[in-house]
Amino acid sequence: MTLVNLTGIQAGDFSLLADDHSPEEGAAVAVPLSRLTDEGDDFFKVAGPVGAVLTTDTNHADLAPLMNKLAFVVVDFPAFGDGRGFSLAVRLRKDLGFKGEIRATGPVIPDQALFLLRAGFDTVEVADERAEAFKAALKRFDSFYQTDYTGQVSLAHARHKATEERKAS
Amino acid sequence: MARKIKGPQMIVANRLLDGRVVFLKADGGWSAVAADAAVAADEAGVDALEALAQKSADDNFVLSIEVIDATERDGKPYPAHMKFAMQALGPSVRPDLGYQVSPAWEQTDL
Amino acid sequence: MYAYDKYDHALVNARVEEFRDQVNRRVKGELTEEEFRPLRLMNGLYLQLHAYMLRVAVPYGTLNGTQMRKLAHIARKYDKGYGHFTTRQNIQYNWPKLSETPDILQELADVEMHAIQTSGNCIRNVTTDQFAGATADEVADPRPYAELIRQWSTFHPEFSFLPRKFKIAITGADIDRAAVKWHDIGLVVKKNDAGEIGFEVLVGGGMGRTPVIAKTIRDFLPEKDLLSYLEAILRVYNEQGRRDNKYKARIKILVDALGADEYARQTEEEWQKIKDQPIDFPAEEAARIKAYFAPPPLQVLSDDVPAVDELAKKNFLFAAWLQNNTNQHKVPGHVNVTISLKPHGGIPGDATAEQMDLVAALADEYSQGELRISHEQNLILPHVAKKDLPAIWTDLDEAGLGIPNAGLLTDIIACPGLDYCSLANARSIPLAQQLGKRFDDFKRLQDIGPLKIKISGCINSCGHHHAGHIGILGVDRKGEENYQLLLGGSGAEDASKAAILGPGFDENGIIDAVEKVVAVYLGEREEGEEFLATYRRVGPQVFKEAVYDAR
Repeated sequence: MTLVNLTGIQAGDFSLLADDHSPEEGAAVAVPLSRLTDEGDDFFKVAGPVGAVLTTDTNHADLAPLMNKLAFVVVDFPAFGDGRGFSLAVRLRKDLGFKGEIRATGPVIPDQALFLLRAGFDTVEVADERAEAFKAALKRFDSFYQTDYTGQVSLAHARHKATEERKAS
Repeated sequence: MARKIKGPQMIVANRLLDGRVVFLKADGGWSAVAADAAVAADEAGVDALEALAQKSADDNFVLSIEVIDATERDGKPYPAHMKFAMQALGPSVRPDLGYQVSPAWEQTDL
Repeated sequence: MYAYDKYDHALVNARVEEFRDQVNRRVKGELTEEEFRPLRLMNGLYLQLHAYMLRVAVPYGTLNGTQMRKLAHIARKYDKGYGHFTTRQNIQYNWPKLSETPDILQELADVEMHAIQTSGNCIRNVTTDQFAGATADEVADPRPYAELIRQWSTFHPEFSFLPRKFKIAITGADIDRAAVKWHDIGLVVKKNDAGEIGFEVLVGGGMGRTPVIAKTIRDFLPEKDLLSYLEAILRVYNEQGRRDNKYKARIKILVDALGADEYARQTEEEWQKIKDQPIDFPAEEAARIKAYFAPPPLQVLSDDVPAVDELAKKNFLFAAWLQNNTNQHKVPGHVNVTISLKPHGGIPGDATAEQMDLVAALADEYSQGELRISHEQNLILPHVAKKDLPAIWTDLDEAGLGIPNAGLLTDIIACPGLDYCSLANARSIPLAQQLGKRFDDFKRLQDIGPLKIKISGCINSCGHHHAGHIGILGVDRKGEENYQLLLGGSGAEDASKAAILGPGFDENGIIDAVEKVVAVYLGEREEGEEFLATYRRVGPQVFKEAVYDAR
């Protein structure tokens, strides 16, 4: 697998913690959310950076108590058409103010690269032979009709930028 | 895996590049004419045909492979159900432009 | 009408190149069919029974003469010389090649058209009143809002992989000609007591196997909040809509499961969080887009045109056409012309390249270069001076387009059915053709009056049978085509679900049954009472007896 970096974030180097294992001291680990919610403070003290692996049906509200403990989040798509993953990333950025890395795993396809980026993902794990196609797809469009939660404003605003700035000053 | 079949079967698909309807022949090639279709009378025969068709799909030549009930018309293979007979002929409401007008493989250009 | 700026051009052109690349990768095997399918669908490309089918967007059903000529050119060059206008105000080509589709999309892009999001589990082409901006019964022209929604919904980063397709309709008129209550979201442009423009917002309408009429979740949404409110509705749906069962994935099922009040509450809660973010269009953008839809500079003329009256006296067909196929424009002396694509014995919604060219020429000469497509699969020349009607009708009639049946029994909506569609269980078009032949008497049709027949070839309901005054649903009964008869539906402001009358019929039986239903209506109706009103007054029983007792 190859990690495609969409935003240029410092991507985390972590491994998935096996179900029946405890984290090694200081190790960066990705842990399924279902387990993390049961772990106490000791778990987080022992481990290094901890990330939650989320299924796309995760309710973002369940993440709120963990927000100050998570270094990164992995959204695992069961299928590329499962658009809940996009809303989940939006919720992490918009409602939970999450600033850490959001990674997409699972069978997402190159043609979703810009959608992932604009929904708030930083990185995506892809099959090696698809890395180039992912990177190419990132360059396909350079302006957008929507304001998103990554700082991009919609064309509806960009078209009148000069007017808006004049009004503001 | 062996399957239960009720009667003779044939395979229809669409050609990837232009979408036109094609029927699987015994040699693994495809024809625009249902009469050219290979017909399998037993489960093993259907499995063999399906493997041939799947190879064409893997080669990105066809898609939408369907194993369908076969009957005979003028002593030649023909789809048993209306939906697939429609595929063999083209729309019933436009007899002027369906495959019934120019069914020959050679007449299509890709 | 709207004209692209450099950004719109750049996006549509980039989309064409993207699709060209996707097609190449599919052909080379770098994309599997499973992966390619949603990508081609989001560019309007289906695989149907006989070939691919390309659905080209006609945003909110408005286009100009140049664009119509391009559609004719595409029909000739890449297809078999015709196209099919749809209930989504779009056009479909039935025989394009995958290998040529990128070229078709480029030709469309050259005239500011595209096939973006005409299929797939995303927000589809926004539909509206075919007479938008051209009738007096309108609060405001809904098309600027449709264009704003079109832009907002195009390549939406969050809502391009929804549980299922998503359709938004908007009307600005008292009479609902856009069937807004049958859409995932329906918007009705309104003015509040202060005279400000806003929208009544309805959610959860839809046809398919579970017909539901949309429910109002907000009586008045201020104009400026439109997009953020839509975003809130969509977010709730994207997160909670069912993904385990295709037939339960539409928003109507979620609205039903949560209850409309709860759906409204969740939408409101989310909306409060986002309504002050720069999601909505700024006022300058609304003004920019509205300027494109400024009313054309029509002169006020007399509604009294002797030449029209004289021709109507001489020619019954023209008189019937005048009555049925034209309606009053908001500027005196003008009308909107409905060009019926329902010739008796023909295929509803089909037009040849030559007919498209003629209509484009008529638009350039008589209707400010503007054309519309109605969800009832007809073409519209808006803003026509009444004095030009005899010339227009003569030209149309020569091309087989002068059929005076708009709104009458033979103005039938029919889905493509089993003649084209890989989902269908039965044919639809032949029924429309048979009905056209059975009722091929314009005096009789005129006497029967307004009556909407809608025919679907399967439960997906593309032919809107649930909303038909008379609905017909084709099913497969043990390998034979069988047709169910439904009565009492409406797609208008008085939306109602049609109910099945009784057991189904074969192809001939259903035509006879329709004739019996019409006979009951003619016997029962009161002075000036239309079919639907009579049905609602007398109920199904008398129809049931007439249709089934004689069997």
